[in-house]
Amino acid sequence: MFKLIGAVMVIVAAGLAGMALANAYARRPKELRQMRSALQMLETEIAYTATLLPDAFSQISLRCEQAVARLFDRAAAELKKMSGCTAREAWEAGINEYSVGTALTESDLSILRNLGNSLGVSDQTDQVKHLHLAMEQLKATVEKAEEEATRNVKLWNYLGFLGGLMVVLILY
Amino acid sequence: MPDSCLRSSVEKPVQEVLPVLPGNIRRLLDRLPETFLEQVEEIRLRQGRPLALGLARKDVFVSNDGNITGSASEAYLVTPADIDRLVQVISNSSLYALEEELKNGFLTLPGGHRVGVSGRAVMEKGKVKTLKHLSCFNIRISKEIIGAADAVLTHLVDRNRSTIYHTILVSPPRCGKTTLLRDLIRQISNGAPGSGLSGFTVGVVDERSEIAACYRGIPQRDVGMRTDVLDGCPKAEGMMLLLRVMGPQVIATDEIGRQGDIAALEEVMNAGVKVLATVHGSSIAELADRPSLAYLFRLRMVERFVILSRSRGVGTIEEIIDGKSL
Repeated sequence: MFKLIGAVMVIVAAGLAGMALANAYARRPKELRQMRSALQMLETEIAYTATLLPDAFSQISLRCEQAVARLFDRAAAELKKMSGCTAREAWEAGINEYSVGTALTESDLSILRNLGNSLGVSDQTDQVKHLHLAMEQLKATVEKAEEEATRNVKLWNYLGFLGGLMVVLILY
Repeated sequence: MPDSCLRSSVEKPVQEVLPVLPGNIRRLLDRLPETFLEQVEEIRLRQGRPLALGLARKDVFVSNDGNITGSASEAYLVTPADIDRLVQVISNSSLYALEEELKNGFLTLPGGHRVGVSGRAVMEKGKVKTLKHLSCFNIRISKEIIGAADAVLTHLVDRNRSTIYHTILVSPPRCGKTTLLRDLIRQISNGAPGSGLSGFTVGVVDERSEIAACYRGIPQRDVGMRTDVLDGCPKAEGMMLLLRVMGPQVIATDEIGRQGDIAALEEVMNAGVKVLATVHGSSIAELADRPSLAYLFRLRMVERFVILSRSRGVGTIEEIIDGKSL
């Protein structure tokens, strides 16, 4: 009896672990796309209305998806403190907050970090160029992430359960 | 003639400026005695060169340990990192939003202090499009002096018609002409019962954001409750615009001199609106040598000229001349 309960628990645990992994694969392209559309909003704010960066960040944080909003919210708060912090430092603080619990990988985040080096320090055309670069890089990453997702989501969904089942069979 | 020496009524305007400076420079300045800091008129930062403070009659350097020094070898040298941080803070991390300001070479801080900027000019069709590689900064601490115009105002009121005279303030640079103009605007706008003046609607064309020191369109200086400020607009165009749409009784502007300004001024006076303006110069004779101003004299419409100097301190009123007597 105990053996049976144990076996069920192993299978369920392994299955859930597999699903969590699969979920991360599925979430990554989605979050990348959300980030890209947030950058698109930033481009509009900068190129068309020349909104000041702190204000642009707060507005975007209200309009974009919740996960991405944390980044912009934090960066806006840092800039509005008027503690003499630069846009790069504020952006970095935003990324650090965002990186907790995100499905984005370190290499995805480095695209954003690179963008931070040029935010707010040059004229409109230059800002737009840097934003386009980051958006292009995100776009390429989205494609790759989608491929990986189609391969891995199913794989991990099954592999978890099957792995659990195998462990059970071996031990039983 | 009245003799007035201007004293700042705003407490420690320099404290409003310190927060924009990079942390290490702020710490150096914090070590200076407060009484000294209050005399500072300008803070100059030039990349790779000594940090300088402009006082009324000379300038001094600040040393690495936060003391005043006259020798450049002991002075703190401004680093590229200082300049980067300064640019970020004064531009609100949004340099791209300041192209127009950079084209004019200055921007305004909250509190109305002006930062003059220079670097490399980017040209487009023979005109300055913007500046890049910013490397030299002059932060001018703006002092508002409430009551600066008390002594002059009575001489500018036309008691018979209960209005003011068309007035031109004549002064060399840094003699307090903008400060005087600002306080005149405030008193004319609010009304000055002591001088028998009720409040007038005043339109101000503030081409270089010096009079009202607007920050994002909001005056940072007290320019009176009936005052409309057109910020950053060329004077001649601005005067016509205000005349057409804001129904002013008085139009005030700073530093007239070009032909177009004079023509606009003439139009304003012909429209029955009173004029209050300043001009660079030290005497009437000197002004008369400038063709555009000579034309203004020939019109014989300006009723009062106020001549300023620094002979007994900033804002000394040398003479008030009746235009009709010229």
